[in-house]
Amino acid sequence: MRTNSFLGILWHTIFILTVFILIFPIIFALGTSFKPLQEVYNNVLNIIPIAPTFDNYIGLFERLPMIQITMNTFTIATVVTIMKMLISFLAAYAFVYFDFKGKKFIYFIFIASIFIPFTVTMIPNYLIMSSWGLADSIFGVILPQISDAIGILLINQTMRSIPFSLIESARIDNISHSRIMIDIILPLIRPQLMSTGIWFFVNSWNEFVWPSLMLKSVDSYTLPLALQMFISAEGGTDLSVAMAVSIVTMIIPLLLYLVFQKYIIGTFTASGIK
Amino acid sequence: MKGIEFKNVKKAYGDTTIIENLNLKIHEGERLILLGPSGCGKSTMLRMIAGFEKITDGDLYMNANMVNEVPSGKRNVAMVFQNYALYPHMTAEENITYGLRRNKVNKQEIKRRLDSVVETLLLEPYLKRKPKDLSGGQRQRVALARAVVKESNFFLLDEPLSNLDAQLRVSARKELMNIHHTFKQTMVYVTHDQIEAMTFGERIALMNKGELQMLDTPENVYNRPVNIFTAKFIGSPPTNIMDMVYDNGKAIIGNQSFTFDTKWVKHIEASNATDFVFGIRPEHLQISKSPLENALKGKVKYVENQGDQYAVFIDMANSEVIAMSNSKDWNTDEVIFVQPMADHIHIFDKATTNSIGYPGV
Repeated sequence: MRTNSFLGILWHTIFILTVFILIFPIIFALGTSFKPLQEVYNNVLNIIPIAPTFDNYIGLFERLPMIQITMNTFTIATVVTIMKMLISFLAAYAFVYFDFKGKKFIYFIFIASIFIPFTVTMIPNYLIMSSWGLADSIFGVILPQISDAIGILLINQTMRSIPFSLIESARIDNISHSRIMIDIILPLIRPQLMSTGIWFFVNSWNEFVWPSLMLKSVDSYTLPLALQMFISAEGGTDLSVAMAVSIVTMIIPLLLYLVFQKYIIGTFTASGIK
Repeated sequence: MKGIEFKNVKKAYGDTTIIENLNLKIHEGERLILLGPSGCGKSTMLRMIAGFEKITDGDLYMNANMVNEVPSGKRNVAMVFQNYALYPHMTAEENITYGLRRNKVNKQEIKRRLDSVVETLLLEPYLKRKPKDLSGGQRQRVALARAVVKESNFFLLDEPLSNLDAQLRVSARKELMNIHHTFKQTMVYVTHDQIEAMTFGERIALMNKGELQMLDTPENVYNRPVNIFTAKFIGSPPTNIMDMVYDNGKAIIGNQSFTFDTKWVKHIEASNATDFVFGIRPEHLQISKSPLENALKGKVKYVENQGDQYAVFIDMANSEVIAMSNSKDWNTDEVIFVQPMADHIHIFDKATTNSIGYPGV
């Protein structure tokens, strides 16, 4: 019993330390975002501001169209996520439930595309989008990202675990493929879809390089681009405002997590049990 | 013809041929069993009827219509799957009515069919439960109910009882009989279990390696097997098969002999075969410690308890022969007398493995 309680204390210490290490930067950002600029440098480690102020947030919203920027980010992340999910779902359904010529080869090509680095396609994508007049438009950011082979791979894996006979049973009852997708497949793979979707959303939300290449005017900026304005060489480093942008950037993903947390955690534990 | 007909049907996956050339007529309203060892093509046949597998060559007729290109959903077929294929996220009731609802059957009609099947299969207490909260037997009944409410002409069953324990099988068979009695569908039932085949089938189609071995009533399949495969596959323990030489009214088996009666002598001498195989079921061998007339001698190897009877394994003429006995009182290495019952002998042509037929038939 003694060793058990010792081990218990040890593990709990490790867990608490880990949680602290994970959470500290967020608390630090939150505290710093309410500090006046001098305090940021004079009082670095004290998380709680001595003279808390909203000036950083007020200044931020005065200097930048933050609502517009947040909306841009939200629109890009939402459309990209929905399109990726839709295309991945339909493609995975075709790969799992249909036999067609060249299926294995096409699947191989799709999966191989996962391993092409972003930097390879970045410039061609930029040139194509510019020639279509989509430079400096959030649609130019969205369009090259509307499909993702990782989504096909992940959804394909989950669909395979559904017994084929469920689909056959529906087919024999004269149920159309679109109905089978909606009535049978979708409910059965919903947790996996949710976690894949959230992953896509957060990735797109945090994306920096591609939007920074496409978006020139502040009105079409996304949140990561706004953040870089305060910590880059050109914009000068204004840490307290940068932290305020970070906190604004965090709000929506955090809300999403709170709403969908049961699916996210559910997916991880389910895959752990299997 | 109504019912189902396979005409010169071939099924191949790439270079692998599963069924070479199948001709089979399934009568309207009958209970036909597709029986055979695994890999014999019986499930493939069922899946061709269901429309899940394309036919490589030949024609399949249902209700006198050629259905080669007709999709599953238009064949008016109901099916019970081996794993039941219940939708895990739907309750039993939703599972049963899903197909009807999606095919826009009107609500009163759905309710009428549901009520009737729920009453027949005693499903009332389980309607609101999801499959994971049902036992194996209950799931099987829900799957059955889902197929029954379709009220199709054709009812396909793919090893529907193989996941049930022995007691549940008996009651499930009874339910299936009731359903067939009520709806008179053409039932095609795939199984590898000969007891199910014997008890449930009106006719049995015995398959092996993609070929139809025998198509007949359970009685004839048991009593008059057309070839060695049928004789050995049907019956447990299997039919004893021994090489024999025919010599002037006698079967020479090893260095012993058995005298045929005149009916058999005439019949064997009339056949074209030159080499023969002697077959006799374990239940048609009489064994005794004291000499029996027209009997062969063998040495007891061991005795197996089969519940109601004992299977005695006997070393005879260099082959193993099984005989059934009511007594377990047989000592290992004891020499005993083994007498085949003359009315239950099967003789096969060694070259073709086909039966040479039976005297007076």
